Amino acid sequence: MFKNYLKITWRNLLKNKSFTAINIAGLAIGMASAALILFWVQNEMSYDQFHEKGDRLYVMYNQSVFDGKLWSWNTTPKPMVKALKQDYPQVEGASRQNDANFLFTVGDKHLNLSGSFVDPDFLTMFSFPLVKGNVNDALSSIKKIVITEATAKKLFGNENAMGKTIKIDSVDYMTVAGVMKDLPNNTKFHFEYLMPWKYWEKVNGGEENNWGNNSVRTYITLKPGISESAFNARVKNITRSHSDIKDIDVFIHPASKWRLYSKFENGKNVGGNITTVRLFLIIAGFILLIACINFMNLSTARSEKRAKEVGIRKVVGAGKSSLMAQFLGESIMIAIIAGVVALIIVQLSLSGFNLLTQKQLFIPYKQPVFWLIFLSFILLTGLLSGSYPALYLSSFAPVKVLKGTFKAANAALSPRKVLVVVQFTFAIVLIICTIIVKQQLDYAQNRDTGYAKTKLVYTMMVGNVDKNYRLIRNELLSTGAASAVTKTSAPMTEGWSDTWGYDWQGKNPEEKIDFNVFNTDGSFTKTMGLKIIEGRDIDPAQYPSDSLAILLNEAAVKVMGFKHPVGQIVRRDGNVNLTVVGVVKDFILQSPYDPVKQMIIQGPKSWFNVVHFKLNDKLSTAQSMKMAENVFKKYNPEYPFEYKFVDEAYGTKFESEQRIGTLASLFAGLTIFISCLGLFGLATYMAQNRIKEIGVRKVLGASVMGVTTMLSKDFLKLVAIAFLVATPVAWYSMHNWLQGYTYRIDISIWIFALAALLTTIISIITVSFQAVKAALANPVKSLRSE
Amino acid sequence: MIKITNLEKFYRTEEVETIALNKLSMHVDTGEFVAIMGPSGCGKSTLLNILGMLDDPDEGSYVFNDIEVAHFNERKRADLRKHNIGFVFQSFNLIDELTVFENVELPLIYTGVSASERVKRVEEVLDKMQIMHRRNHYPQQLSGGQQQRVAIARAVVNKPKLILADEPTGNLDSSNGNDVMELLTDLNEQGTTIIMVTHSEHDARYSHRIIRLLDGQTVMENIMV
Repeated sequence: MFKNYLKITWRNLLKNKSFTAINIAGLAIGMASAALILFWVQNEMSYDQFHEKGDRLYVMYNQSVFDGKLWSWNTTPKPMVKALKQDYPQVEGASRQNDANFLFTVGDKHLNLSGSFVDPDFLTMFSFPLVKGNVNDALSSIKKIVITEATAKKLFGNENAMGKTIKIDSVDYMTVAGVMKDLPNNTKFHFEYLMPWKYWEKVNGGEENNWGNNSVRTYITLKPGISESAFNARVKNITRSHSDIKDIDVFIHPASKWRLYSKFENGKNVGGNITTVRLFLIIAGFILLIACINFMNLSTARSEKRAKEVGIRKVVGAGKSSLMAQFLGESIMIAIIAGVVALIIVQLSLSGFNLLTQKQLFIPYKQPVFWLIFLSFILLTGLLSGSYPALYLSSFAPVKVLKGTFKAANAALSPRKVLVVVQFTFAIVLIICTIIVKQQLDYAQNRDTGYAKTKLVYTMMVGNVDKNYRLIRNELLSTGAASAVTKTSAPMTEGWSDTWGYDWQGKNPEEKIDFNVFNTDGSFTKTMGLKIIEGRDIDPAQYPSDSLAILLNEAAVKVMGFKHPVGQIVRRDGNVNLTVVGVVKDFILQSPYDPVKQMIIQGPKSWFNVVHFKLNDKLSTAQSMKMAENVFKKYNPEYPFEYKFVDEAYGTKFESEQRIGTLASLFAGLTIFISCLGLFGLATYMAQNRIKEIGVRKVLGASVMGVTTMLSKDFLKLVAIAFLVATPVAWYSMHNWLQGYTYRIDISIWIFALAALLTTIISIITVSFQAVKAALANPVKSLRSE
Repeated sequence: MIKITNLEKFYRTEEVETIALNKLSMHVDTGEFVAIMGPSGCGKSTLLNILGMLDDPDEGSYVFNDIEVAHFNERKRADLRKHNIGFVFQSFNLIDELTVFENVELPLIYTGVSASERVKRVEEVLDKMQIMHRRNHYPQQLSGGQQQRVAIARAVVNKPKLILADEPTGNLDSSNGNDVMELLTDLNEQGTTIIMVTHSEHDARYSHRIIRLLDGQTVMENIMV
């Protein structure tokens, strides 16, 4: 019996080639889209889930009240590790982690590499296996370093790296004591090497015992059997009991939640990336559903062609169940073909998708689990798309279909119409979302940054740049490469430091107010193109006392309540008096979606990491950069000259939204495409079914235009209903999405109008092709063929 | 074999109720060849559908082989039908996507006959109908007469006790039509009961008995000699 079904399915597929192509293409594209999203979701859910001790692995969090709100953050004081290991017997392993960036020299190879400082426990806590070396010993002394296989290859080629010496920043030497398997793509870490924490202490002048400086991450593993809540109760007061800081609570956050549940609001975990994951799962489900709906629509639309077969089979003895089995078998067979096509599509589009999502996803062909899931996926698709047609087709009464009096139902609310409405509702929602995401992105991108980011370059102060800074600055200016130079504590696009350690006259002593902190040695406003609203720039050359001068931004003036800010004294950490010399216009340091935060820009008596310079307007960028490179090479010869343009760095702030926008438009496009495939198929069958009616109408004098309109109108009605359903859904979800941005657009009417127009045009094009064809056909032919 | 008593069937639309069969009673004995005749709309086809258990009556009794089947559900009717009744239609009703062989094989598949037995029986019946040489052709590749012979082959492959024929020669020229009537007569002579609906007095002469219907009632019976 099964063989008979297969045969007839196969012949049916071959006989109706265009129908088959539409059906398989729609299903395959739907399956491929859903599969890509599922791969992405799987990758997101697998982040840092591979650590053997993962169920006991935690990161430490601080919690404290600022501006009346409870904030949670996971940078911690450096001495916390020692306290955890000494005073908490529940703790098995503990390690700090901080970013490292050094120039590695091997022979005449110089490479600037980024890695992490960690405590020795790190290697036994996390499952980052060593290919060579021993986890218990690889970071045991200040002279030892662990590098990844890729780093080993970069530095030593195919030679064995173990035991080899690397020169670090032309001052120290380290021996490779471990080669680590390259990090998988589903971990939050991305270091190229691990250095012992002891080395951080050497570089930074010894062990730090300051519980007030929250600058490193602290990871712990608990001993087996100790629960999160039990340990939280114990560790809550660790900062209080080890320092005189009384307003910070500490808690632990499990590894299983790092990736997807890391957003805290008022001390409560409120999810995080899981929202995106869920959203994408919903989209995947809907795209697959739409593809299945296509299948249902096309199958039932063809029912008049299949009705005779159903009738005959029933007459010769087929029961309803065996017919259902037959039709389900057919849909599963089509799903299998579509599944194979989908797999090919996924394979072909994976590299592009990876580029878009910044991931390295791949199809795990060698894993049996993958094939099992793949098969269940196909089976599910086949059953989902075949269920309704099977039920519908198998219920035909043979008496009617064999007599030729059979006409498929054309009721006002046929399931087929409902299905088309569902499809287009989803497509329209996606179109509206895409437009709104793009608009919000444009809006934020066009926001005034407050400074001139073009032709502005920054480079890190590595090697001898700090020592030779004066010479470098003078030569950049004298050669004409740059028109202004300043050194700062952080790049203009990143906030690296913030503190609530400022005091001033009129401040409420109970209140903690957190400021962004920036440092400059002068020429700050000139280099950045900032506008001074009051007072002047910091200028130690002209005013020697400016080493303790500060600039405020407008937001800071407002929050500090100064009527006349210039000349005010601000006390830092209770012991340093700083004088306000000027006020600058607010500029965007961090998120372009948030209001500008209060900020203090401190004078030269502070720390510096970055050199910013404004390129000479009169020269081409290439010319100035060549000159600048020569200057840096001259004074810092061992290091490659690495730099970034501020406008490009600023652009990366939009990456996440851009990605959402691109993905949304991609999926909107696919959904529309699949829906239109279905619409096209439906229109084809509708035109065929009404061919006699069209013939009669034409004989009686209907025009081509009239017939086309008549045929298209039915479908446009469905699209219109879909639009009515889609509008509130889209408005509601996008309204919620926009709430996440302080600086946001208002959803305006024209977006919906545009979506309606777009959908209408696309559906008219799709339907009218068939409608015109039917209207143009010679009525004599269609009327004679009865 | 068949005994129907006071059989009634109505068709309702929103405004009109049509009586297709009006307290119809008749009986057919095993081995008979009965022709049913009457003008269009007299209820011939409705009667045939009810006899073939494709449709159920609204009122009255239908006893088939001593079993009352008037109120059987669809599954039971299908079960009884596939073992006992073969159908021949005016428009052949072959499945276009299946070959001659596969079309004839179909009833055997649904009655669960083994594959090797199926081949044997299909070949046997194709041989008898003289269309063996066409076994791998599709219906569209055959003439009308050949198609009807395939349809008859399909109707008899399961060795049914009863064959219901609905104007079997309606779509055929007279020579092919005569061939089909000869085939049916042969089958009848071998013991199969045949009930045939026809408009053709010529065809009706092949039967033993003609039942004439008008407005859903028997108006006359002619016994052929």
